[in-house]
Amino acid sequence: MFTIEWFANFGFSVLRLSTPLIFAGLAAVISKKAGMMNMALEGMMLAAALGGVVFAGMTGNVWVGLAGAIVLSVLVSLIIAFANLTGQTDLYLTCIAVNLATSGGTVFVMYLLTGEKSTTSAAIKAYTLPSVVIPLIKDIPLIGKIVSGHNILTYVSFISIFLVWLFLYRTRLGLRLRAVGENPKAASSVGISVTKIGYISFFMSGILCGFGGAFMSMGWVSFFMKNMVNGRGYIGLSASNIANGNPIGSAIASVFFGFCDATATTLKSQGSFPSEFLEMIPYASTIIALVVISCLRMMKLKKIQEGKESAAK
Amino acid sequence: MNKTRKIEITVELIRIIAAVAIAYAIALLTLVVFSDEPVYIIQQFILGPFSSMRRLGSVINLAIPFTFTGLCFCFMYAVNKFNLAGEGTFMVSGCLTALVAIKIGDTLPPAVMIPLLICVGALVGVILNAIPALLDIKFNANIVVVSLMLNSMLVFFAIWILKYKMRDPSIGSLGSYLLPENALLPSILGKMRIQAGLIVAVIAVILVAILFYKTIFGYKMRVVGNNPLFAKACGINMVGTIVAAQLIGGALAGIGGSCEILGNYDRYKWVASTQHGFDGLMVAVLARRNPALVPVAAFLLAYIRIGADVVNSKGDIPVEFITVIQGIVILLVAAEEFMGKFKKNMIYKAAEESLAEDKKEEVKEILEESDGKEK
Repeated sequence: MFTIEWFANFGFSVLRLSTPLIFAGLAAVISKKAGMMNMALEGMMLAAALGGVVFAGMTGNVWVGLAGAIVLSVLVSLIIAFANLTGQTDLYLTCIAVNLATSGGTVFVMYLLTGEKSTTSAAIKAYTLPSVVIPLIKDIPLIGKIVSGHNILTYVSFISIFLVWLFLYRTRLGLRLRAVGENPKAASSVGISVTKIGYISFFMSGILCGFGGAFMSMGWVSFFMKNMVNGRGYIGLSASNIANGNPIGSAIASVFFGFCDATATTLKSQGSFPSEFLEMIPYASTIIALVVISCLRMMKLKKIQEGKESAAK
Repeated sequence: MNKTRKIEITVELIRIIAAVAIAYAIALLTLVVFSDEPVYIIQQFILGPFSSMRRLGSVINLAIPFTFTGLCFCFMYAVNKFNLAGEGTFMVSGCLTALVAIKIGDTLPPAVMIPLLICVGALVGVILNAIPALLDIKFNANIVVVSLMLNSMLVFFAIWILKYKMRDPSIGSLGSYLLPENALLPSILGKMRIQAGLIVAVIAVILVAILFYKTIFGYKMRVVGNNPLFAKACGINMVGTIVAAQLIGGALAGIGGSCEILGNYDRYKWVASTQHGFDGLMVAVLARRNPALVPVAAFLLAYIRIGADVVNSKGDIPVEFITVIQGIVILLVAAEEFMGKFKKNMIYKAAEESLAEDKKEEVKEILEESDGKEK
């Protein structure tokens, strides 16, 4: 069973399943750096997934579909931003409300458009974003098979890790965004508009979630399914929590969760173990990773304190 | 001071009514736009739930689980922890209650059996809610993420129990064996066929309201939630209070799950999350964290739900549109700025008036004094 072929397939599916998690993780990183905890990634991705399928189906063009997905996701994120920044709602509650509304709202819109309640696969013609075969690299044994031939959004996700890093640490806006996140009062005292930065951060995480949602319905599969994001927004959020808002760390954590997901899928196809427990693996790994990381962090803090005390003596 | 408080309460009430009215108007508008025969559908939506005793009964029946989960979220809210495990708890405690009932069978009289099963539900709730509560307090793991992930896991856990521990192979769909007769909650109030869980719910509301507003623990809980720094400075046991509140909340959600299964079903057959938890969150938000108002909010939500159900069965509008309405209500009620200006103006006006009155009295006193001197 453990042939090179098998490893290649497994590696390929790890990268494939990591893609939406990386997008969600990066979106969470931007919000986190701006001092906010965006739990509505789930709803934003769900709206984007439906938007992508619908716009692609209506126009017959996948790129319009992708644009539609991003627009819808941004729209949802701006609703949250408006409620939270202008309306002064509690952010947690807002995000929960938005997730609720999108989970029902997508089904409602789907029913109005197609008359179906579970999936659009029968009613709307399937479109997928193209896959990309990388020349040269595809000829390397094993690695070529793992890295090449993915959906274009998988490559976009890896590029955006770098772009988000560049944005946060090498641009003025990124610096301001981090300043607002670290200390909003200090930031506003030097003339940075906290509200404006908040809107910008939501806007950017909306774009990233749009890509993530579009991948779900136009790359991973070619249709929209009720509740298809299935907790991936929350997993991405935990990835950014684990990395403490570092885009690269968050991406590594996302790939780890993708690995867990792929393991569960592979084991399911072996069929010797109750599939219910295998389904739990991605969620359980999220909880365990959160606990382990915060344990490590607390130990480090303790050490620093002890060191300070001994130095004081 | 007293005047300010009065105005705050009044505005709060107006705010909630306005929020519900706006959301209801949006719901009606949706129906008008998307339905082929809007007048009939709207009539069904508004009057449908009251059209027969049976339907009114089902509104109350639906309000019972909402009350339990609503109370659960009042506790989470009171200590300011968004522990959302109530959602999964409801499903799993229903599942395990059914399992225990089937395993015990017809051996015990109902008077022993039913309290025992409700205790099972409460225990399941306590255990499940302890997981995110402890991980949060001990390891500082984000409670929202942990509890949501836990919910996803619990769904699969409940399906596993159903499939491998109590599946009845003789029926076509996925369902458990029949629940034993003596475990079922009787229905009360004749024609309305309301499950006896109503009695449990009423008792729970009264006890929780007393706990919140008449005991030391309730006061501690509210202080911890409203002003953690003050609570710490006062020497309140923060960790203990926060965890205890979440465990009690979990127990209530668990009891809700048990009552739902024993009151409304003859077999356990949930294969997806029931959403009662999130509905409970909405109920708690609407009731403004006040357990005494939870039944009112629960009834309101149940009324809208049953209305949507009636529309769903009679017309061409899917029931899901109600979750959008629910989201809007939560947003509007949660928005501090929604009618915030109105509130500020009212308070400002009242303050100005009382200031003017004070001044008048002062002037009067001075005048009287000077009068006295002159004489």
